[in-house]
Amino acid sequence: MRISLRWLRELCPVSLSDDEIARRLTLAGLEVEGRESRSIGSGVVAARVVSRTPVEGSDHLSVCQVDDGKGTHQVVCGAQNYAAGDVVPLAQPGATLPNGLQIKKAKLRGVESNGMLCSQRELGLSDDHAGLMILPRDSRLGAPLDELLGLPDTVFEINVTPNRPDALSHLGIARELSALTGVPVRIPRTQPAGDAKVPAHVHDEDPARCPRYLARVIEGVKVGPSPLPIQERLRSCGVRPISNVVDATNLALLELGHPLHGFDLDRLAGEKIIVRRAAEGETMTTLDGKERKLTADDLVIADAEKPVALAGVMGGQTSEVSASTTRILLESAMFEAKGIRRTARRHGLHTEASHRFERGMDEKTAALAADRGAELIAQLAGGRVLPGAIDRYPAPLPQTQVWVRPARVSALLGSEVPAREVEQLLGALQLEPLDGNPERRLWGVPSWRRDLTREIDCIEEVARLRGYDAIPIETPKAGVGETAAILPQARVKSAARASLEAGGFDEVLNYSFLPERDLLALDPAAQFLRVANPLTVEQGVMRTSLWPGLLRNLGHNLSRGLRDLRLYELGRIYLPAPDPRHPDGPLAWPVWEPDHLALATTGRRAPKGWTGGGEASDFYDLKGAVEELCEAMGIAGVRFAPAQVPPLHPASASEILVAGRRAGVLGQLHPTAAAHFEVPPQTFVAELNWQALLGAATALHGFHGLPKFPAVARDLAFVVAAAVPAEKMLEEIRAADAGKLLEQVTLFDVYRGAPVPEGKKSMAFGLSLRATDRTLTDGEADALCAGIRDRLKSALGAEIRG
Amino acid sequence: MIEQIDNLLSQARTDLAAAADEQHVEAARVKYLGKSGSLSSLRKGMGAVPPAERPKMGKLVTDAIAQFEALLDQTRSTLAQRALEKDLQREKLDVTLPGRTRRRGHRHPVSRALDDLIEIFARLGFHVADGPEIEWDLYNFEKLGIPADHPARDMQDTFYLTTRIPPPPGSPPTTGAQQQLLLRTHTSPVQARTMLAQPPPVRIIAPGKVYRVDSDVTHTPMFHQVECLHVEKGLSMAHLRGTLDAFAKAFFGPEIKTRLRPSYFPFTEPSAEVDVSHPLCGGKGCKICKGTGWLEVLGSGMVNPDVLAGVGYDPEQFTGYAFGVGIDRLAMLRHGIDDLRLLFENDVRFLEQL
Repeated sequence: MRISLRWLRELCPVSLSDDEIARRLTLAGLEVEGRESRSIGSGVVAARVVSRTPVEGSDHLSVCQVDDGKGTHQVVCGAQNYAAGDVVPLAQPGATLPNGLQIKKAKLRGVESNGMLCSQRELGLSDDHAGLMILPRDSRLGAPLDELLGLPDTVFEINVTPNRPDALSHLGIARELSALTGVPVRIPRTQPAGDAKVPAHVHDEDPARCPRYLARVIEGVKVGPSPLPIQERLRSCGVRPISNVVDATNLALLELGHPLHGFDLDRLAGEKIIVRRAAEGETMTTLDGKERKLTADDLVIADAEKPVALAGVMGGQTSEVSASTTRILLESAMFEAKGIRRTARRHGLHTEASHRFERGMDEKTAALAADRGAELIAQLAGGRVLPGAIDRYPAPLPQTQVWVRPARVSALLGSEVPAREVEQLLGALQLEPLDGNPERRLWGVPSWRRDLTREIDCIEEVARLRGYDAIPIETPKAGVGETAAILPQARVKSAARASLEAGGFDEVLNYSFLPERDLLALDPAAQFLRVANPLTVEQGVMRTSLWPGLLRNLGHNLSRGLRDLRLYELGRIYLPAPDPRHPDGPLAWPVWEPDHLALATTGRRAPKGWTGGGEASDFYDLKGAVEELCEAMGIAGVRFAPAQVPPLHPASASEILVAGRRAGVLGQLHPTAAAHFEVPPQTFVAELNWQALLGAATALHGFHGLPKFPAVARDLAFVVAAAVPAEKMLEEIRAADAGKLLEQVTLFDVYRGAPVPEGKKSMAFGLSLRATDRTLTDGEADALCAGIRDRLKSALGAEIRG
Repeated sequence: MIEQIDNLLSQARTDLAAAADEQHVEAARVKYLGKSGSLSSLRKGMGAVPPAERPKMGKLVTDAIAQFEALLDQTRSTLAQRALEKDLQREKLDVTLPGRTRRRGHRHPVSRALDDLIEIFARLGFHVADGPEIEWDLYNFEKLGIPADHPARDMQDTFYLTTRIPPPPGSPPTTGAQQQLLLRTHTSPVQARTMLAQPPPVRIIAPGKVYRVDSDVTHTPMFHQVECLHVEKGLSMAHLRGTLDAFAKAFFGPEIKTRLRPSYFPFTEPSAEVDVSHPLCGGKGCKICKGTGWLEVLGSGMVNPDVLAGVGYDPEQFTGYAFGVGIDRLAMLRHGIDDLRLLFENDVRFLEQL
């Protein structure tokens, strides 16, 4: 809401500075978000164009003689919308325009120019740059523009929250200022309408959607432009001046906050107003020139034949006030909020009127606005307000009454607020004490404060006016047992993050929605949830995998010249399936949102340095990172097995098994997918089910004592068929250890090539043997090694290597 | 024999003096003290000494052996000293060559801020609660006092899903409008869910992603919030201020000040916007804070009694405060990040700096 301070000070004549007004309003909840100084400054005056002749050799410039009351000056001007006799703004040499332009004597095309004739935009008044600003011909020549327009002024941009429709006007803000300062509000005085019969008819067929409809008639108006200060006042509030009649209704709107609409009474068929629902499919053309197809939920103002306005939203063209209008029917109505909101949404309209009606207007103010609007029309456009009003108001709203207990106020605000202070503050907001005693009092709420219906609402008013700074600072006590323990999950999570960081993985965060094609590129059969109103198709569907985001991140970084990338993301995916963790009952989750952890790597293991490096990272780097992660999380019994994973290269596609169940997949990205995401074929990805990992994790390990007896070390090397997996060899080695002496087995070498025969490989294992109850003898160690040798030979055909 | 002992000792002294390393020393030890070493044999030859002289001779031999052993120790320590000196004299490394490092990874500033908040609030006695991001209209709006066609819905432009999934048995959304699936516009639905699940007192935070149809220089369609809710007997706005102040000081530093301004949120009453003194300019006023010295960081208030009643709590007995804070903005403030889009571009050169 744009508020002119000149206007505000007329309604509440405080002697505070602009800054102080801004500060007080902001701290009372009417945040001043911005401010604009409106002043044209000295050196810009009204001047009459005495003559205008084209500049030779130019197709648009004219040389003018202009009279500023003190003398005639020659000015060159490029605008076209004026003629000799017009009065226009002249910026004299030495003037500085609001946009910073300094006016100097100059020569244009060799012709001397002593100043500049200005448009509204050049004067900082509006965006209008169609031509010169044309001033009324009776403007005093030489008068500063500021004086003619009623400037300087300051305009505040105030953020009015949706609960405060009463503050969407100068009067509303003035009331607040009055409550904050004690300076009384000067409400514009109006003539009561009286009882006379008005020459028009109003039928309200839908009192639920239109609880009150007031009409007044003004005759003999002469439609034309409003005086300059009125136009400027409207412009400063962001409203375009149109004609004196329309300007008058807008002026009343900005002043009192209640939307008005003026109809050309002679263009209302049957001189009739019917408030009714539109027929389904009925059409009308609104003031913005658009034809609207209406629904049965739209409330319209109709005449005897057709809709003439979209009630509370926008007027229609057929009854629009025009230059030939002489009789005005002025509407001041009250429309039900939700209906207005539905209609405005349906037709994509958001107007000064709909904005206010959606938030709830005041049925009482409607009467004041009708009278004030009628008077302003007569004042600006001449004519006579006919006595009498049509007022369809079948069920006047009773006054809201609220009990307030000062003790409750104190309890909520955390410090003692005396009953006296509560009464004084509520009184300042024009609540009336009706009943009760100092401990508990009944208050009558003014009609415009429809947001005050409960005690708590009044407590907020007290808090607001006292200022939130008056509330003490008190830290709540943490009761015994309430202090949050370090949860095992939090411990495991930070261990996992530490492991990933140590492994060189940078954490990324991606949007939860992504382009459909990215999901389909990984899995053509993917099922996903779709956003109904995405900002772009790139954000059209909910992710069912973290890979597309990570792969796009790789692409982004690669395209910026980075080569070696390791990224991870820990976040939710969204599956169109019931959530097994929150399956039913009152707290069910709508869909399944499991947490996933995904990793992606490409480029080198480490950049080349003087000590080595520069090798491309491969599957085993990624697998190692996953193994380190599992170790950090205290997950035992992790296995890896080949698996079919469509977005992965079949050579390395694999699954991670935790306690025998799939907890994730990893491998090299499938070349087709790599091409889609424009990443190198040597890209490796893993995606793990975070819940499965957490389920198997150990937050804190128990201590199992230190070994009491020495270990014996033995190395064994075997030659075995190349296809035998390492895991198989390890399993058989362990299986041969009936006496549980094998403390640790390390595969320390894998070798293919001469002298190892074709189709075979050599695998060397380092064994650490230890008994818990004695020192192992060489004989025992040798016996175990022999057992392993025999078992590997019989089970896998492995030969011990010389 | 005395002469023999003297000879052996002087010979041993010569041998040890010539010993260049431990191997020579060991050879000398074996030569004199080994099984058939010359000093050892003297002890064996004691049988040939007349019994009367045995004690005297025995002592001479023992002394000689002791002398030799002392000599051995001395030689060893001299050798060690010499070796040490030699080692200390060896060629100096180029210590300016880079060390062997592993590149470490970097946390995303938003997830780090999120973890910090969780920790700060844990110290203040708050537990972490969780809720769905894809939410029913019922919990995102209705249970929080924002029915359909309420103007407050304009404050939060909502992403809806096309999918219609009938709610599972026993869950509250019944009407079509309540069942509408959307991306939660704030973390506040977790308030309603938590209070429906347990009797008071409640002291939770709910961190997570939220979504609004908004994308410009200061808005991304997805961002992060932490919701804080505390309901108990006897809570007042002073406790809200206290908690906010503690949080702001813990997150930004002890010199930070907080300020509450009246505002409006449907689910709190009274409501307050919370400003913190600008951590970068120290509250003096700069371009970023538009010269005011204050930055708006979150919305807060006392839980609306209607919300409490809506979950079956007695608002006369229990009061509470709640707030929702945007993490992305906090993270930006803390690191001096000036462009919101950087947060979700995931440029490694950005992540590496934080």
